[in-house]
Amino acid sequence: MDAPPDNDVLWARSLHFTHRDGSPGIAGISLGVREGEILAVCGPRGSGKTTLLRCLSGQVRPDQGEIWFNSAPTHTLGPVARERLRRDRYGWIDPAPVLVPELNAWENAALPLMLRGTGRRRAKAAALEWLERLDVGERARRRPRSLTLAERQRVCVARALAGGPTVLFADEPTAPLHRADRAHALRTLTTAARSHGITVVLATHDSETAALADRTVSLLDGRRVKTVHLPETTETEGRAAWSLSV
Amino acid sequence: MVALRLTRAGRPAVQFRRLLVAAASAGTGFLLLGALGHALGHPGTAGAALRLAWCVVPVAATVYFAPAVARTDPGTRPRPGLSAVGLGPARLTLVSVLTTALATVLGSLLALLFFLHLRGDLSGLPFDRAGRQFLAAGRPFPVPAALTLLAVVPVLACAAVGLALRPRRDPRPARRRVVRGLGGHTDTAAPRETFGAYGRFGARARAGAVAAEPGPGTTAVGTVPAPGDGSGTPEARTGTATEAPDDHAPQDPADGDPLAGDRAPEDERGDDDASLLADEPTREVPAGLPWGVAALAAGLAAQAYGGPALSVRALTALPAEATTVLIGWAVTAFGLVLAAPGLTYLCGQLTQAVRPGALRLLAGRGLMAEAVRIGRPLGVVCAVGSAAYALTVLYRGPAASFGPLALLGAGVVVGCTVATLLTAAVEARQDRAGTTAALVRLGAPRSMLRGAALLRAGVLVVVFGALALLIAELAALPGTR
Repeated sequence: MDAPPDNDVLWARSLHFTHRDGSPGIAGISLGVREGEILAVCGPRGSGKTTLLRCLSGQVRPDQGEIWFNSAPTHTLGPVARERLRRDRYGWIDPAPVLVPELNAWENAALPLMLRGTGRRRAKAAALEWLERLDVGERARRRPRSLTLAERQRVCVARALAGGPTVLFADEPTAPLHRADRAHALRTLTTAARSHGITVVLATHDSETAALADRTVSLLDGRRVKTVHLPETTETEGRAAWSLSV
Repeated sequence: MVALRLTRAGRPAVQFRRLLVAAASAGTGFLLLGALGHALGHPGTAGAALRLAWCVVPVAATVYFAPAVARTDPGTRPRPGLSAVGLGPARLTLVSVLTTALATVLGSLLALLFFLHLRGDLSGLPFDRAGRQFLAAGRPFPVPAALTLLAVVPVLACAAVGLALRPRRDPRPARRRVVRGLGGHTDTAAPRETFGAYGRFGARARAGAVAAEPGPGTTAVGTVPAPGDGSGTPEARTGTATEAPDDHAPQDPADGDPLAGDRAPEDERGDDDASLLADEPTREVPAGLPWGVAALAAGLAAQAYGGPALSVRALTALPAEATTVLIGWAVTAFGLVLAAPGLTYLCGQLTQAVRPGALRLLAGRGLMAEAVRIGRPLGVVCAVGSAAYALTVLYRGPAASFGPLALLGAGVVVGCTVATLLTAAVEARQDRAGTTAALVRLGAPRSMLRGAALLRAGVLVVVFGALALLIAELAALPGTR
């Protein structure tokens, strides 16, 4: 591992994580995320992408290894401090849209800001602005159950972006969508990140999605691998991984 | 066998809830047997029938409690894996009925054993023959009668569980649960026309156009009446819609949530008109509040009319005019149960009124969403509480004649109703576990989530406590004057 450059906003060294039931998660992953870049964490299902993102975003604590955010260690923080870090600095997008069902779209999008204590008016303005930008502005007063899946996912993206996070973790944000919606959601996500200088860590098993990123980190069985060649056609997910050389 | 396996594998909290059902069943069974013993000991007196009639209340409380526990039982919840191997909703209903039967029969057997022990039929234990005179020890024990009485609770509880958890024709995901009945989920296939929906501004004006056009982007308020508007062209010029029609046309009916398609026209009509004025029209308002208040008033009036100078000396020797009062009480309780979901909804609405922050928003909206599930048992608890209060005010007999059986009955009723309320709260929490996890991932402080829950509970306690006190005072007023 070479020395981390100064502009690494997030930096991890030899992360190990084993799930509670003993199944292996990730083993010895080191990576650095530069400020303002879009980093794709690529790999087949079960390769430890979600676990890596959960470690990096402070949702779980790695068994071994270090995570530094803005030159401060986060792996030593307690749960409350990590919670505050997630609230103030990080954004998170789930694979499937999980919205609070009893809040309408703009309230959902404004929730992270409200949780931080931002005033209602400002939170609403920011949320509505992002919803407009993601083409769900006219559905801002609908409850999640009357939105389609793609719209719900876009509300989730708006919720993650409205808080103005330093780092945005997107765990397969387009997994449940059809390709048209997938391209749309990804395009808006990457455009917004670039225009606002938000660092994005994007987990995906799709090489097309990974092509949108600045840099790609490939995982296989919880380890980081160097990609020699990704085949053009991937008929089944995971086939690409078998042509990787470790 | 599957039922037994699933029963055995439960976590302690689940087993505790099942034990509570068994305990309730045991208490109720013992009360029934106590009535039988009294009838054996005092043949030919009118009090026996009245005693048996009073047992209806604990029986009802137990039968009300059993489905609540069955609904929160994780072992009998439809699971994708089990459904794939053929253990679908129908078999799982059977499993939960069997689990309930197990718990209630266990309780009944305990009651029988304790009864026989107190009579002195089983010897060698403490409290032997402690209730000899009381439970008619000298007389032969009518086994068929006892078994019939003991079978009442298991049979009724199993029937209630089977009815509450019966597989529905069209099981929908939990997201669409709009109206929850006493058991299970009843969701209507077509969107219901809410009160005043017909006369809402513009509701009928574009009905034809909406039916003709599948695209949702073409029904905004400022639609320019284009020549091709009614003929279904997706390129109809719209005033406010910003989305490109090709973005939505393929995904709307087919994609994701299949309900989005058949709901779309109604939603477009109702929402786009009102979207600039108010939030989404509230469809989840429980409807029973007016009826509940009416029933409440009628019940209180019946009590006031029936018993101006009523004072209870013993529950088993009621004066003749007590019938009116009892009917009044039943109507009052029914009204409370009817009105409670609406009141809970109002509480939620008040909690989140006037520029709420995250705490009040989550607390209030949660209350509004769970109004029916929490409100019903809360109304029952409220009714029981006010009945207990009024009874203690009205009671003028010697303190000792609140016998152990009356206390046991009161304990069973209060315990069952409170436990039902708590179980409903557990059920609500289980339902919201996914949302809570997502909130935690967002970094919502757990202290705030707990604060929201506490705020919810506090508002309910204040409002419903005041309501129970008020009703109890009103009910006791004629008697104490």
